[in-house]
Amino acid sequence: MPRFDEGRPEMTPEEFRLLRDHVYAHCGILIHENMKFVMERRLWPRLEALGIQDFGSYHRYLRYDAQRSAELEAAVESLTTHETYFFREPAQLKAFREELLPVLEKRNAHTRRLRLWSAGCSSGEEAYTLAMLLKESGRFDDWDVEVLGTDLSRRVLTVARRAEYGPSALRATPPDLLERYFVPAGVNRVRVRDDVRAWVSFGHHNLSDVAGSQLVPRSDVVFCRNVMIYFDLAARRRVLGVIRDRLCPGGYLLLGHAENLLSLGADFELVHLKGDLVYRRPELPGGEGR
Amino acid sequence: MSDTVRSPAGQEEARYRALQAVDPRGPGALETFTTGLHDESWRVRHAAAEGLRHVPDAQGVTARLVSVLGERGETGARNAAAEALAGMGPVAVAPLVRLLEHEDPDQRKLAADILGQLGQPQVEDVLLRALSDEDLNVRVSAAEALGRMGGDAAARALQDLLNVPTPLLRLAALEGLASLKRAPPLERVMALVEDPGVQRSALRLLGLYPPGVATERICRALASPVRSVREAALVALGAQASGLGPYERGELDAVARSVLSGIPGVTEYVAQALDGEDVQVRAGALVAAGALGAASLAVAVAEVAREDRLLREVLFTLGQLGPEGRRLLLGSMGTLSLPARTVAAEALVLLVDSTSVAELCALLEWAEDDLRAVVVRALGRTRSPEAVAPLVELLADPSLSSMAARALEQLSVAHPMAALTALEAAVEQRSTPAAVAVLGRLGRARVLPTLRRIARDEDASWRAAAVEAAGRADGEAGLELARGALADESPKVRIAAVRSLGQQGGKEAATFLGLALKDEDRGVRVAAVEAVGVAGAKERSPDLEALVRHGDGALAMLAVRALTKLGTVGAGVLWDALGHPDAEVVKAALAALSSAEASADGAALAVSLLGHPRWDVRVAAARVLGGLGRPECLPALGHALTVEQDALARVALSDAVHRLSGR
Ligand SMILES: C[S@@+](CC[C@H](N)C(=O)[O-])C[C@H]1O[C@@H](n2cnc3c(N)ncnc32)[C@H](O)[C@@H]1O
Repeated sequence: MPRFDEGRPEMTPEEFRLLRDHVYAHCGILIHENMKFVMERRLWPRLEALGIQDFGSYHRYLRYDAQRSAELEAAVESLTTHETYFFREPAQLKAFREELLPVLEKRNAHTRRLRLWSAGCSSGEEAYTLAMLLKESGRFDDWDVEVLGTDLSRRVLTVARRAEYGPSALRATPPDLLERYFVPAGVNRVRVRDDVRAWVSFGHHNLSDVAGSQLVPRSDVVFCRNVMIYFDLAARRRVLGVIRDRLCPGGYLLLGHAENLLSLGADFELVHLKGDLVYRRPELPGGEGR
Repeated sequence: MSDTVRSPAGQEEARYRALQAVDPRGPGALETFTTGLHDESWRVRHAAAEGLRHVPDAQGVTARLVSVLGERGETGARNAAAEALAGMGPVAVAPLVRLLEHEDPDQRKLAADILGQLGQPQVEDVLLRALSDEDLNVRVSAAEALGRMGGDAAARALQDLLNVPTPLLRLAALEGLASLKRAPPLERVMALVEDPGVQRSALRLLGLYPPGVATERICRALASPVRSVREAALVALGAQASGLGPYERGELDAVARSVLSGIPGVTEYVAQALDGEDVQVRAGALVAAGALGAASLAVAVAEVAREDRLLREVLFTLGQLGPEGRRLLLGSMGTLSLPARTVAAEALVLLVDSTSVAELCALLEWAEDDLRAVVVRALGRTRSPEAVAPLVELLADPSLSSMAARALEQLSVAHPMAALTALEAAVEQRSTPAAVAVLGRLGRARVLPTLRRIARDEDASWRAAAVEAAGRADGEAGLELARGALADESPKVRIAAVRSLGQQGGKEAATFLGLALKDEDRGVRVAAVEAVGVAGAKERSPDLEALVRHGDGALAMLAVRALTKLGTVGAGVLWDALGHPDAEVVKAALAALSSAEASADGAALAVSLLGHPRWDVRVAAARVLGGLGRPECLPALGHALTVEQDALARVALSDAVHRLSGR
């Protein structure tokens, strides 16, 4: 029977916990106990690349080496799941298109400006999907529109900027939209059309970095889907603080379908749409900031 | 703002917030929360239940909650009250046990349900008695509750219930035994699998048995036309396999293969299950796919890797699909999702041979970094001279160069001349300094003239590479180049010199390392500390001892480790290190203790660290004490064990206690 782990070092429970805590302190991502095996496998290539023999030494490298911050980024990179695809969670997107976009159109009619933030955008599919939905609605064609995608991982951002995708990213894309918003780019691959790309930009941002979030513009809607599932309560609180701060008063927060704000306090109000539950940053008293 | 978005939710929001603002210690809180339990919104009821948990008069609260349980027609409030009681802990036990005597069977049933959720083991007896309640629903609830939290007696009682004529009770018993992970005699369960009413639960229970008869029965159920039965069978198969660990699966796989291969259409069904929602079903489907060795499922199997938790099983299963499966994967690399591609690539490494170079190189063209790393490893395993050129080229890629270097060394065993020629050409064309390092390792004395020339290059990276490579190629020349390089203006070159000196060892190297320890550049000093240890330069110990007190944790930690390697750690130094604010330094000192003579002093030092604020230091201290073999430390260890909160530290402490008391 073939062995995939021949000659590779095992991670002791202690090394696991030291590395896990280190990652947690950096970005709030909590790696569950039963993920030791996954962590081991994902970090092996890092050990190999650095010529390091065991995980204890790797932990010390992350603490002391002159290259430590670059390496921590590489480690987190390999530990996080970047799974995403176009038109993920269609019911939520439908509610966004049919119920929130009309509200936003009315609300921002005098500025004709719209800002969306895809926080934890991975390789960009979500950000482009939102831009496509805006185009589909036909409501914002001559508006000043920007969809900002940010992620902790620099590697996925390169993919996002390239805007070229294969079948697995497109598995939920309706054929007519595929036709309208993509152009062919080689065997089995397509590229997002330029007019969609013109509305989307990308940047590097750690959601746990409260100070760094000042660089994110105030947004009308924040999508932060399937990101906080990896965070514990404290990290979630911190991130929600950041998101709330970057939302315009009355702006909306959309989470992944497995996520909710239960027991996270009352910084957001729950809004029942016909098709979905979303959260909203309360308006300022007296209607300022509209 | 549109009204559809605002109104009902807004009111709910207001009530929710109002409840959250109530001080549980304030007057009237009990009343307010109790009213909240009757709210129409579940979110508000949840907040009320949460609030009740914090009202100080816990007994008053439980009494009130129990009375809400009696309000027929108020389903929402009753559920919320049940939720609150389940969260109250031991205070709720007595009133619920009393409620089990209530004349209304509905109340007795609720009491049993909540007691099950409370999970307090002291109510096992009471629940056992409730198994003979006159009302069937109460008996079922009691059985379910025992299945959540019971001990030996509960397991025996549940086992007896397998014989009763009432299907509902048999079902509760089966589910309970499965959740307690208590396997009754196999024949009992085998008989129940034939009973359509409880078949699925019985199947799942079969997952608790070792492979063999149980496996056979589980696999036969995959022929069932009923989807939920097939799913239960897959869950059981997955459970059986998970108890074994991937490399002890021979019997299970053999039995599964022989049964499954006789079921028409099973491959198709397994393919569907691999794509299903339920993780446990997918886990079982992987086992089935592997046992079948169905190459056509390779892509579906790889895609399961999107679920992190199943990664191990996916890798193992891919290994069972044989060369054909892996060939299919190679052909579909471009269409796999990212996680699937990564595992597929790992499987490919094992498949490659001298004919795979072209395909691997094609992958390199577009693949992501982590995948490219795997491809590099695979190239090293092809044993083909054609892999030399692409690998030499990859030496120029900073993120892959050290892996490419290793792969080249692997290849050079079979094709030394091809590798050497390609490397020399790369160096001539100045493609990357990384080629110099590999050249030194492979070329030995033959490449010294080249290395000497490069050591005078104007680019520091090339000089550094030559200096380090010379150390590997030839001792004497290495020493000579390193000495010159210590005076280089670039820290990078000085670091290379220091590393080379560490490899050489000897008196002269020790002298030079003494200078490097005082270098103005931190990187050089760090490298020098390590090199002193590697070189075995005992004469440098005093220099290292001074560094142990250094505020830079890296320097201090490395100094302790180097001293340990040299075998020259004195007690004074250890005290310094153990008091260092950086926990890594403390741990290095503890490691030194365990390798030093088992002195009473050493034991006292380790004991003093059992109360260290960091768990990892406490673990290290416990380990050292376990190894020192001094029984007089037992009381200290025992005490530490009684106050220890951290799980890992507890394990280490009890190991140590065990070792010391065993002597
Ligand atoms: C599973 S993907 C979700 C992508 C997309 N939002 C979706 O739902 O399809 C999660 C992403 O969150 C990113 N992420 C995780 N922790 C983060 C943090 N602290 N700051 C920013 N991004 C983070 C990961 O790098 C990853 O790309």
